[in-house]
Amino acid sequence: MITLHLDDAVIKSLSANELNILKFVYEHGETILNMSIQEFSSQVSYSTSTVLRFCRKLGYSGFAEFKYMLRSQAKEKEKPSEPAGQQDFNISRYMDMLNFNMEGTSSLISEDQLMRTFRYFDSGCPIYIWAPGGITSILSNYFEKLLVSIGRQNVYLLESAKMATHILQHLNSNCLLILISATGTFEPTIRLGKLASMNHIPILTITPYTNNVVADLGTISFRFFTNQRENRGAEFTSRLPVFYVIHIIIRCYLQYKRQGGFHDTTV
Amino acid sequence: MIPLFEKAHRMTLTNTEQEILTYFETHLPSAIHTDLNRLSSELYTSNATIVRFCQKLGLRGFNEFKYQVRSELKELRSPAIASDDLISHTLALFKDNMDAIDQKKLEQIANLLTGDAPVYIYGSYLSSLAARYLQTILNTLDYPSILIEWQRLLNGLIYEITPGSVLLIITAHGDAIRYLPVFQRAKERNAVTILLTCEDTSPLIPYSTIWMCTNDKNEEYHHVDINPRIGIFTIIQLLIELVAEIHENNTKDGS
Repeated sequence: MITLHLDDAVIKSLSANELNILKFVYEHGETILNMSIQEFSSQVSYSTSTVLRFCRKLGYSGFAEFKYMLRSQAKEKEKPSEPAGQQDFNISRYMDMLNFNMEGTSSLISEDQLMRTFRYFDSGCPIYIWAPGGITSILSNYFEKLLVSIGRQNVYLLESAKMATHILQHLNSNCLLILISATGTFEPTIRLGKLASMNHIPILTITPYTNNVVADLGTISFRFFTNQRENRGAEFTSRLPVFYVIHIIIRCYLQYKRQGGFHDTTV
Repeated sequence: MIPLFEKAHRMTLTNTEQEILTYFETHLPSAIHTDLNRLSSELYTSNATIVRFCQKLGLRGFNEFKYQVRSELKELRSPAIASDDLISHTLALFKDNMDAIDQKKLEQIANLLTGDAPVYIYGSYLSSLAARYLQTILNTLDYPSILIEWQRLLNGLIYEITPGSVLLIITAHGDAIRYLPVFQRAKERNAVTILLTCEDTSPLIPYSTIWMCTNDKNEEYHHVDINPRIGIFTIIQLLIELVAEIHENNTKDGS
């Protein structure tokens, strides 16, 4: 299991090819520790210079230093193996995966993003949360319920695309639109994001770490790590990291309010 | 000396606990990077003893203990609390919750959710979102289940519930006593009850067939429940992973 400390700026700077490399690293983690740059580049099907550029963008001098970082993390996390029991399930693997996703997600949240978000929360401007339906709507509901519970007024859930379009067309920039997407490529969400962006409405997005259209539309982009999955057309990608991001936003906001950090500004 | 160690010194400690304390005092700051397994093997003790020591100090587990030591060390240098600290603390709590999960119970619950008996999933307010999350994904994975979000509906249902039905109830909130008649009646009717809670003293536990407890804290803001239930969501996510595995195995067998 590895953790890459990447901020939004780094992710945005990666090209589509470099994002594929990142995905490969994310999925194969420790197996690449014993590869040379030539082996690695043939595995990912990109040239060694693309791999090198990728390493440099992540802040390492080259592939060796990148591997060194991965190795030192692997060492730190090495655990003595458990006595082998008769297990039909691979729960430890799932636990490692969740731990990995949470560590990665935690490392992507910056104080700067949080403070920019809190400015909107403090301003009292209307907050619209898009609930696209399905599992993602549960996340929108969670965000809405928590915001209302901590005393934030003016929080509205948008549950129909037509109504959302109608509302966004008549809004000025003094509000905040929240878009959550498990893929970052869901068409109705992109459409609303584009409409809001045309009307200069600030957008807070919560999307995967991969390069995606929804995040590109965001004024503030929170990112998370997860594994995309589906069962014959019905997706069931884990939303746990998103619940976690929302929880962290709320928890930090409460702490910030307790410290009396109000900006008293209009947005 | 940091306040946490001072506190420990004022307590009555067993010999092993004294050894753990001494180890930390003499191995700072490197000791805060040790993991539970390595520490227990170095001290010739068990993981449970170390976790009990942390709990004696009022913390929920080893990761929170490490977090506390780290932040107290930092505070000696600067008094400010930054968001980084809150994020690390949240992560530490997440990991403590994960470490404490009983894997056998998870397997039992996953098997029940994918069995032939009817499955009802109940949660209200924020717990209803956890319930809905599990129910929606079970349906996606071709294991139909019924979501109940109203307490009165649950109260009514329990009179007619078929013996052997599975009733999974999520209740984080401190007011668990209101579900006691439901659990008692479910037991009388031989329904299987699964309780997900964050109170290990919940009065519902003796009446549940299987129960799991998380380390979520029942917090309120102006008397409104704001317990984020991340621990409960984590258990649900792990159940989803197991159910997906069962589904995959069944699909393979069927093809």
